[in-house]
Amino acid sequence: MAEMWISMGPQHPMTHGLWTLKIKVDGETVVDTVPDLGYIHRGVEKICETRDFTQITTYCDRLCYASANTWSHSYIYAAEDLLGVEVPERAEYIRLIAVELQRIASHLMWMGAYGPDTGNLSVMVWCLREREMMMDLLQELGGSRMHYNFPRIGGVKRDLPHGFVQRARSKLHLFLQRIQEYEALFDESTVFLVRTQGVGYAKPEEMINHGVSGPNLRAGGVNYDVRWAHPYSVYSELDWEPPVERSSIKGADCYDRYRVRVEEMRVSALLVLQAMEKLPGGSDTYHEPGDPKLLAKAPSRAPEGTSGYHHFEDSRGESMFYIAGGGEGRGKNPYRVSIRSPMFITIPYASKCMIGYKVADIPAIMGSFDPCIGETDR
Amino acid sequence: MGRVVPTSTQKASAEKLCKAISKMKGVEADTIERTSGTSPRWTVSVVCEAENWRKLAESLNNTHSVDYCSMITGIHWPEGPEEKKWEVIYHFLRTGVKNPPSVDGVLQPIVTDPNGVKGKDVPLEIEVSIRLPDTRTPSVASVQDIWVGADWNEKETWDLVGIDFDGHVGMRRVLQPHETPTGYHPLQRHHNLRYHGFEEMYDDAQGFGRKPDDIGKVK
Repeated sequence: MAEMWISMGPQHPMTHGLWTLKIKVDGETVVDTVPDLGYIHRGVEKICETRDFTQITTYCDRLCYASANTWSHSYIYAAEDLLGVEVPERAEYIRLIAVELQRIASHLMWMGAYGPDTGNLSVMVWCLREREMMMDLLQELGGSRMHYNFPRIGGVKRDLPHGFVQRARSKLHLFLQRIQEYEALFDESTVFLVRTQGVGYAKPEEMINHGVSGPNLRAGGVNYDVRWAHPYSVYSELDWEPPVERSSIKGADCYDRYRVRVEEMRVSALLVLQAMEKLPGGSDTYHEPGDPKLLAKAPSRAPEGTSGYHHFEDSRGESMFYIAGGGEGRGKNPYRVSIRSPMFITIPYASKCMIGYKVADIPAIMGSFDPCIGETDR
Repeated sequence: MGRVVPTSTQKASAEKLCKAISKMKGVEADTIERTSGTSPRWTVSVVCEAENWRKLAESLNNTHSVDYCSMITGIHWPEGPEEKKWEVIYHFLRTGVKNPPSVDGVLQPIVTDPNGVKGKDVPLEIEVSIRLPDTRTPSVASVQDIWVGADWNEKETWDLVGIDFDGHVGMRRVLQPHETPTGYHPLQRHHNLRYHGFEEMYDDAQGFGRKPDDIGKVK
């Protein structure tokens, strides 16, 4: 049969955001793919050059609406590296709680979107219900529901509110029970299994060479995680292990990528519970915003010739910021901010994974990599 | 407790790598202690001459198992020193990830113990900076064939900063529209963030007065 090119997009069934996937098909089989990005490029890197270090945090929140906290923390760590700030321990624990809660919320958003992609509509409503609990907790910390603007250079905006720990504990215990319901919903659905098992194989070494990391990599049977490989925050103080999937010999398929995210939510929930137990100064004390136990003093200018960067485990893989100091206003602004988005690198790889499968497999494969176009296009 | 790679292991490994690549021609390497929240971390920082870059890249990948290209950053320094008008900065990670083995057709996941990593499996952060003198066509050698992860990073760097990569196959605009004028790279310093004055914005906020690019062309 003659081969032909089809343009899928820019409105996609499986992603939040706009992008086009050009596919070359031979009948129903995908022969070649070319992803086309940039539909929502906002020029965040250029905008950051004219903002001071505190103002940039809000832009980083808006890189990915499903995972705002991980992105602003990723920036904050790079900025602290640039400005040479040491963070109080209590603030680090609170940051860890915020980031891991966000990771759960992000994975729930993914699961809620992946269900309908693979013919399982009721999952969406269930996942958004639980995501609501996480959003409520994050709202208590940051004050808003999506873009929290929570971390500060040198600490956090404010302490855990009164009763936060009790509420978080009960919600997380409830959540841990409800994960089992999702698993039952997915694993007992024949439609889901048929659509995800045996499609979109990806092998670990190949993924690493292509720059794919995070849950997508761990689905392939290796436990590489930036949180232990390039330790930051207080992960060294807690007892945890990144989840690893036993994939097939051909590599990780869509089902493995779903499994690893479910396990990651469990690990994140346990990390939050542990961090609340171990919180330095106790969880009943409350410090006013700006207290030295929450916020260390940080310089507001970075001289020319300095630079800072930090590798961070985002919900979708390794995110990273590189900041060069010495911009406008004698170093008040950064000279250059460069953002590594995990999905910008993963989408080309995921597109290659589709080659050889049917057109109907594309949503299942693409969705399983958890694409987020907001961070991809920046 | 403490299931993370110890700082001492990382420091020793960084120093070892640093020593090995310093011997190469045109390469200066140094270990740098960086802060990350409450704990320090050790990274390798390399300054490489443009003509030796390809050799260094091959050595990093083949000899030192640097297997992951994280990010490529291009910087335009129009007011910088003579030898540094453009800069390309590569960030690499050494992950030590291998394909898991299989026994009787069943895959055996590799669970690395962070406290026990040694040799070339110790995770490392490597930063390579390449400086270019004043030129209208800045370019460095492409490493797209060594790390496929560098492919789209190189595309992006050319698209936004205008630094070209010799030997890169399939260079094209990735974040900006395809019809962006040739030679327009917004992260070069002579482009301002805002071209419109405020009055102009209020006069025609929706941009109805603008004409499409392809006006008068046969479609």
